[in-house]
Amino acid sequence: MRVDLALFAHLSGFQPDGRGGRSSRPLELEEGATVGDVASLLGLPDEPRIVLLNGRHAEDSTALSEGDRLAIFPPVAGG
Amino acid sequence: MAREILRVDMSDLSVKREPLPAAWGRYGGRALTDAIVFAEVPPDADPLGPDNVLVFAPGILGGTSAPNGGRISVGAKSPLTGGIKESNSGGQAGHALARNGIAALVVTGVPADADARYCLVIENDGSASLSRVDEWAGLGNYELADKIAETRPEGDRYATIQTGPAGEAGAKASGIAFSDPKGYPNRFAGRGGLGAVMGAKGLKAIVVSDKGHGFLEHADKDAFQAALKRFASALKEHAVTGQALPAYGTNVLTNILSEAGGLPTRNFSEGSFEKADDIGGERQAETIKARGGHSHHGCHTGCTIQCSRYWVDKDGHYKTKGPEYETAWSFGADCGIGDLDEIAELDRACGDLGLDTIEMGATMAVYMESGKIAFGDADGALKALMSGANGGEPGRVLWDGAAATGAAFGVARVPVVKNQALPAYDPRPVMGIGVTYATSTQGADHTAGYTITANILNVGGSVDPLKPDGQAELSKNLQIATAMLDSLGFCIFVAFAVLDIPEAFAALHELAEAHTGETWDPDALMQLGRETLTFERVFNEKAGFTAADDRLPEFFYTEKLPPHDAVFEVSDADLDSVFDFVPETAKQMGLA
Ligand code: SF4
Repeated sequence: MRVDLALFAHLSGFQPDGRGGRSSRPLELEEGATVGDVASLLGLPDEPRIVLLNGRHAEDSTALSEGDRLAIFPPVAGG
Repeated sequence: MAREILRVDMSDLSVKREPLPAAWGRYGGRALTDAIVFAEVPPDADPLGPDNVLVFAPGILGGTSAPNGGRISVGAKSPLTGGIKESNSGGQAGHALARNGIAALVVTGVPADADARYCLVIENDGSASLSRVDEWAGLGNYELADKIAETRPEGDRYATIQTGPAGEAGAKASGIAFSDPKGYPNRFAGRGGLGAVMGAKGLKAIVVSDKGHGFLEHADKDAFQAALKRFASALKEHAVTGQALPAYGTNVLTNILSEAGGLPTRNFSEGSFEKADDIGGERQAETIKARGGHSHHGCHTGCTIQCSRYWVDKDGHYKTKGPEYETAWSFGADCGIGDLDEIAELDRACGDLGLDTIEMGATMAVYMESGKIAFGDADGALKALMSGANGGEPGRVLWDGAAATGAAFGVARVPVVKNQALPAYDPRPVMGIGVTYATSTQGADHTAGYTITANILNVGGSVDPLKPDGQAELSKNLQIATAMLDSLGFCIFVAFAVLDIPEAFAALHELAEAHTGETWDPDALMQLGRETLTFERVFNEKAGFTAADDRLPEFFYTEKLPPHDAVFEVSDADLDSVFDFVPETAKQMGLA
């Protein structure tokens, strides 16, 4: 299956195509893959992350589906 | 050093120092501005008349080396909301006042000659005097800062407090500018129209010299240093205060809020902006770096988080600070403008005129919705904004804020609570912040109880933003904690670390105790927060506010916001529970 992946702040360097940037791009995954699988596939640093799946918070254990939009942020805040 | 009140009466142009009354001895910052406004301003006073009082107060830890502890509170009755106001700012004045032994600068009365302009100068020996500066009338904040510089002796170190042309014109969206460590007047007590209160008092500028002053002494120096060390290392260690805020500034939020569907776009009609990344913190950091601008510094000395940055134009010249997230949102997504240079131009104009960028961006979006100019028209927005000089239209109406603009141009969707515009988070998909907007004594204000922590950022726990459950409790606890931090003089961004790291929380009362020599513990700190809010609630009640004022505008309950098609679902009963502690606290304080 294919999901649409966007990575932000200092995580953008982990896009598999190595081109960085925040624009989303497709990612091929095994059926039944989870958010946590994506994190290990990309080699994301082991830190708390903010994961938004179709605009809602998701856990590492959340399973992905074809066509999902997955956005991952490092710990950030402002105000 | 004894903490005193410096009292300036603009009616007879007298200046005097008096001891801080014992009853207020444990107050600073917001608690102290509230206590003074509560005691001295009749709730029905005309905010621009002689009975309003304008108070500037550094926090309890102001003037010390406590990290991020030099913020300043400005209090008065607000011309925008009609309620009590505490508007908080960075800049150098908080430390400078505290180091001159001034716990509160209290400005009363109005001058006999409404056209007169005055400058109050506080020298580094604590003496103060007023001088007539009619020739400064109408000056923008940047030129005013240059004029002030010409009057100061070489080698002086001083802070400025200024009101711009909008404040002099009595605009309800005007703020008060504070100079930053480089002397730029770019830090603002922006919200609630306090620039107009300063303008009505004929006070164009205040200068506070703290040349030669070091940090204030502590009751227990060793204990202070030990607590400071723990606090500073917690701020360094936390990923948000140690890395994300310094690297990207507040505007790192734009992409995340747009992803979460909570970035109010084109006057709160959508929750995601297609050009979010063009105006977000990552792009901002890249552009500033490429142009040789300066990111990663403090809005006041002693800030160790350092989320501030300067925007520079294409030739590398200073344009304005930030833009902060709130401004990138208000003139960006909310106005449909997707270009940081255009946003920075509007930010600069507001900074120079002395206008609140949150209120003005939200106002411009309402104006755009009227069809007078199109969404995305940055040139039209700048022209409309600038037209307010000398009472011109439509600017002069816009300068009174979103509610006034909606009424004047027949727009129904006006995002205000208690007349103050909503900031950069839509309360439908982020319901916790909706509770804060609705119930805050300040009008819609995100900083009053920043639930974005648990709603979006997974800081201090997590509470699902799309459900009404738990939001009132979350907002209430954060509103109490924030009132406490504002009274100590801390920047509220320390809360990201304080909420997650127990040693950082403990350091707050350890610092307060070691500095003042009085007993402070966690309960006493929370009581300080409750007392602060109680002054505000009781004042507002006396000014005529009721439960009906603690509600969001109707459209948030009925118009579904894409992409989640969310509406605000927190019940009235939950909203009314937020201040359930007030009657008892008022009794304890003897205010009943
Ligand atoms: S963290 Fe940012 S807002 Fe807070 S004191 Fe530092 S520069 Fe100012």
